[in-house]
Amino acid sequence: MKVPISMWLLALLLAGSLSSAGFASAKGSTNPQGGGLVPDNQPSAYSGHLVVALRSEPKTLNPVIASDISSREVIGQMTADLIHINRYTQLSESALAKSWKVSSDERRYTLELRHGLRFSDGAPLDADDVVFSFRVYLDEKVNAPQRDSLLVGETPITVRKVDTNTVTFALARPYASAERLFDSVAILPRHLLERAYSEGKLLQAWTLNTPPDRIAGLGPFRFKEYVPGQRLILERNPYYWKQDRSGNRLPYSAEITFLFAGNEDAEVLRFEAGETDIMNRISAANYFVLQQERASRGLQLYDLGPDLEYNFLLFNLNSTLPAGAGEIRRKQQWFNDVRFRQAISSAIDREGMNRIVYHGRGAPIWTHVSPGNRLWFDSSARRPARSLSHSRDLLKAAGFSWRENDGTLIDHRGVPVEFSIITSSSSNERTEMATIIQQDLSELGIRLQVVPLEFHSLLDRVLETHDYEAAVMGLDGGDVDPNSQMNVWLSSGDDHLWNPAEAHPATGWEAEIDRLMRQQMSTSAPRDRKRLYDRVQEIEIEEVPVVFLVSPNLLVGAKDQLRNFKPAILDSHTLWNSEQLFIQDRTGAVR
Amino acid sequence: MKRVSLMVMSLIFLAVIHLSVFFAGFFSPYDYAAQDRELPYCPPTSIHWVNKEGRPLWHPFVYRWVERAGGQRYQEDQRTPYSIHALTRGAKYTVGGMVTWDRHLFGVDPPARVFLMGSDGYGRDLFSRLLFGGQISLFAGLVATLFTLTFGVILGILAGFYGGWPDAIIMRCVELFLALPWLYLLLALRGLLPLHTSPAQAFLLFIIVIGLVGWARPARLIRGVVLSAKERKHLLAARSFGASDLYLVRCHILPEIRGLLLTQAALLIPQYVLAEVTLSFLGLGVGEPVPSWGGILATLQQYHVLISKWWMFSPGLILIPVILSYGVLSNSLQENRSQVGRWIE
Amino acid sequence: MIISSALWLYSLPICETYLGPRTPVGQIMRYVAIRFGQAILLLLGISFFAFAFVAVSPGDFFQEMRLNPQISQNTVSRFRTQYGMDQPFLIRYGRWLKSVGHGDLGYSLAYGSPVVPLLLVRARNTLFLTGTAMFLAWLSALSLGVCCAEWSEGWLDRVCLLATSILLVFPELLLGLCFLALAVRTGWFRTGGMVSPGFEDLSPWNQAKDLAAHLFVPALVLSLGSLPVLFRHVRTAMLEVLDSPSIRAARGHGISRHRILFRHALPVALNPIVSLFGLSLASLLSISLLTEVIMSWPGLGPLLLEAVLSRDVYVVIGATMLSALFLVMGSAAADLLLYASDSRIHPEG
Repeated sequence: MKVPISMWLLALLLAGSLSSAGFASAKGSTNPQGGGLVPDNQPSAYSGHLVVALRSEPKTLNPVIASDISSREVIGQMTADLIHINRYTQLSESALAKSWKVSSDERRYTLELRHGLRFSDGAPLDADDVVFSFRVYLDEKVNAPQRDSLLVGETPITVRKVDTNTVTFALARPYASAERLFDSVAILPRHLLERAYSEGKLLQAWTLNTPPDRIAGLGPFRFKEYVPGQRLILERNPYYWKQDRSGNRLPYSAEITFLFAGNEDAEVLRFEAGETDIMNRISAANYFVLQQERASRGLQLYDLGPDLEYNFLLFNLNSTLPAGAGEIRRKQQWFNDVRFRQAISSAIDREGMNRIVYHGRGAPIWTHVSPGNRLWFDSSARRPARSLSHSRDLLKAAGFSWRENDGTLIDHRGVPVEFSIITSSSSNERTEMATIIQQDLSELGIRLQVVPLEFHSLLDRVLETHDYEAAVMGLDGGDVDPNSQMNVWLSSGDDHLWNPAEAHPATGWEAEIDRLMRQQMSTSAPRDRKRLYDRVQEIEIEEVPVVFLVSPNLLVGAKDQLRNFKPAILDSHTLWNSEQLFIQDRTGAVR
Repeated sequence: MKRVSLMVMSLIFLAVIHLSVFFAGFFSPYDYAAQDRELPYCPPTSIHWVNKEGRPLWHPFVYRWVERAGGQRYQEDQRTPYSIHALTRGAKYTVGGMVTWDRHLFGVDPPARVFLMGSDGYGRDLFSRLLFGGQISLFAGLVATLFTLTFGVILGILAGFYGGWPDAIIMRCVELFLALPWLYLLLALRGLLPLHTSPAQAFLLFIIVIGLVGWARPARLIRGVVLSAKERKHLLAARSFGASDLYLVRCHILPEIRGLLLTQAALLIPQYVLAEVTLSFLGLGVGEPVPSWGGILATLQQYHVLISKWWMFSPGLILIPVILSYGVLSNSLQENRSQVGRWIE
Repeated sequence: MIISSALWLYSLPICETYLGPRTPVGQIMRYVAIRFGQAILLLLGISFFAFAFVAVSPGDFFQEMRLNPQISQNTVSRFRTQYGMDQPFLIRYGRWLKSVGHGDLGYSLAYGSPVVPLLLVRARNTLFLTGTAMFLAWLSALSLGVCCAEWSEGWLDRVCLLATSILLVFPELLLGLCFLALAVRTGWFRTGGMVSPGFEDLSPWNQAKDLAAHLFVPALVLSLGSLPVLFRHVRTAMLEVLDSPSIRAARGHGISRHRILFRHALPVALNPIVSLFGLSLASLLSISLLTEVIMSWPGLGPLLLEAVLSRDVYVVIGATMLSALFLVMGSAAADLLLYASDSRIHPEG
């Protein structure tokens, strides 16, 4: 029933550091505005439309099966969740649920829904829809991707209806920041999907060819039209629950059109030509080009600082290897020595990498938490500078030496140190990083081969067959909260890439990381969690499980006529406040 | 007479190109993998003869390029001239895999750099990469064309000459080869190869695969010509005199398809040299840090390179005269075949 | 569908009694029937190989989900079972064959909908593009080739040779990108897509103009890409024919140049050209893959590329079968044209 006071302190701290007068509440408030910053600008008319490009085509409009980025982007505009994480403040706030109470043992959350909410086809929302939605997501036969994020320590949360506007969720045990679980879990309309669900046809529902009146959601927009291969159009949801300060119903724009652009360069072309209004995730090189054109084309460009994505060089430390992998096992003797990994980490020129790969618009990293994660970044940890002599000392201490005639590094048995790095051929950046590593390590006498593989082949080798030596990969946190990274950092996690799904932690420090991560998951005081998470980052710097490289900056652009544009580090970077966006030219007319 | 001298000119030109590519280590000032992280995408270094006071110096010289604020813009630091020296010592290289040396035709003292054709995204000298890249690209083009034409000729003649069942089977195989999703096969192939194939080996394998897959088109064309050539009167007459199949093929069919073959060769060589651009688009080009012409051109797919880094077009510029020369050669061989035949003898 | 065509094949003996094996019509019909049978076998073979390729290449569609820390290995395995991806290769192939019998080419893993409607819309868009491009390319290649062969060594010949050499050097990919860059800088052309947003609200005349504006650059790039090869072949074939004794004799007789070119030389030179034409027809669906991807043209290209990269098995096989169908039809048409153009060859087998 009581709310932890430290939550309030944290909230006030952050509220003070933000420029806008947005409220940051951890408890949830009864303010009908319900989240987001108060829009600075309001249009005179509600007729405008936005045009945005997507890099791949959306595949489905069904929240239960959507797994690719484009589908989720479109669905995100059409649906709403109970408790939402504000992308700008990175804190949770009330959405469909106007307030919630936490039980004293922190295992029960009672949410109260707003009154008078309607789906985009006019049907009313009540607790039965919420119960139905969670039943669908948690059903093992449906196998929704959301199910895994609704597990607390292997047990799914349970939901119970109290009355038409109240639901209770029960967790198996206390879970830190549990309200973040509800983010992006779209509430489904029972009146449209229950029949399909009971007939077992839910997964075939809501394809792109479904007529618009069979799809309904609670988001700012609703589905209007889809032309295969070309565009998808959403129109304003007349029943959307958010209002601005003057009581006008949001969204301001009447339509959003999603165009399909194929790849980033094609998207840049269309943005530069003025065909699209917003561009998300611009690469550093194209950012430079757009900057030259900025004034003449009426574009605004934003550099939001380091992203949550982290790139790293990982070594194959698997205990189970495919048959006939004697070569890899031999090399694992090198990889398993922490001094070898530290030497490699010390030899890599992260600044040069930043300059070449991201044109200086990035940040070198030594842990998986990038500096862009303001809430959880451990700024006090000591980060070692590049030093080839330090690498040489470490290698000498580990029993390596150099051949006289050509300077090749050899181990204590006289075998020259050579290995291969696999990268994804579709990611230019990671291949460039591998090439730079190749050049850096050649100064230590290590010969590397860079092998770009098609993405699925790479995944197959790293996750299934373990038939690789080293790889350069990148992961995106998704959320700033440490709980979103559990599967990566727990030794038993499936995404513990260098040695997935271990039965027992292979080393002492992995066991320590396990302990710390589990502990922070059940601690509720943010200061304690931060302390535990800081310790995890320190271990990463000491033990170098993977060699962290660079994080790119998030670069976005928009027409300067776009109002209320507030890009954020969390996904969806540019459209999280789509209900407030509109285009207005100098004369004040709304397009 | 004019045609013969044109042919001689193109032969000499091709010889020059192939020689300079063979001795790439000597003619290039830098190693192809040497990165200069301060100078990515640096434009070509201007060579000066007159220093800023207006006085000419004995040696040509360059100024050092430094980065201007704003990222990847460069200007010359005109305070110190760096002379270009001949026969400088530099990175070691091997010629033909046998002789190792470390003298280069020209170079400048560090920290200045002489990038005759600018630098690429890692700050590597493009001129050096062009020379070394020619080794891979020209060779790849020739090998693949050889494979394609050999298979194409053999199978096309078989299909056209014998007709009936062999024709049907071979032509259906042609269609099979043309219809299969080679994209998939190539993508899968790289994933299946052991990780320790060197980039050059993997690339050679790809080129052979492309060459072997590409036999389908020439085979079809050749088969068509052979079908009609087979029915010519002089061939029927020779057959009635008891000539063997092999004789008929050698003396009557081959001359008919010679024109087609030469045209195909002149067209296929550049196409295969550039096949690597498409391979690189799909991520299957020759591996880093080994350069190739197609790989350099492939960087132009990025918008920012396409519109402002014009020096990356240089492999295309070298290829134009190479293709023209091959084309002239092929034309001359077709038109002067009797004269050339006598000339060769 | 297959059963009915088999019946038609077997009814051939009945036709033979009426049309007879030795009459020209009977011969052609026999030939067509045999080619049809071969085509069915070929398509079967292609589908088998395509399936085999998929089985051989590492990874499958659901693997990408593994990289998302929020999704567990169990969920991914369950997905595999749900869609039958964990069955052995032959069983999956057998099931797919059975569904083909019903006219259903399988189910897209990404889109969650049947493959056939997905493919047909885009195939239509692709054919629109490649049809226009091929038409332009052939028109220019034939006219330029004939003219250059006739006035060989003239200024037109030299210019065309130089231009085609330059075009050969620049792969379609680069050509397309250069045009796009030009389009952005100058605003003369559209930067991609097939129609502008708001297409439906335009009048039919404006719709046609909009379509043409978007079609211009991709079609130009495609035709410029195919032009050098076609031009060279036409020119070489014409040159060889114009050099032959019969043509020289005809010139000596004083027959007009025009007549020689079109009535005497061109028909003879047609042989390799017809085969090339057949190859052009056959590649209508596959040649524009990369161009469509860069120009965001909503055809088969981007769909196929994305499906290949994400291992959306049935889409890849469906698209391959569609291209194979075109290939087979184009090939058969080319052979028929070949026999029609050169009366000395008769269809065998």
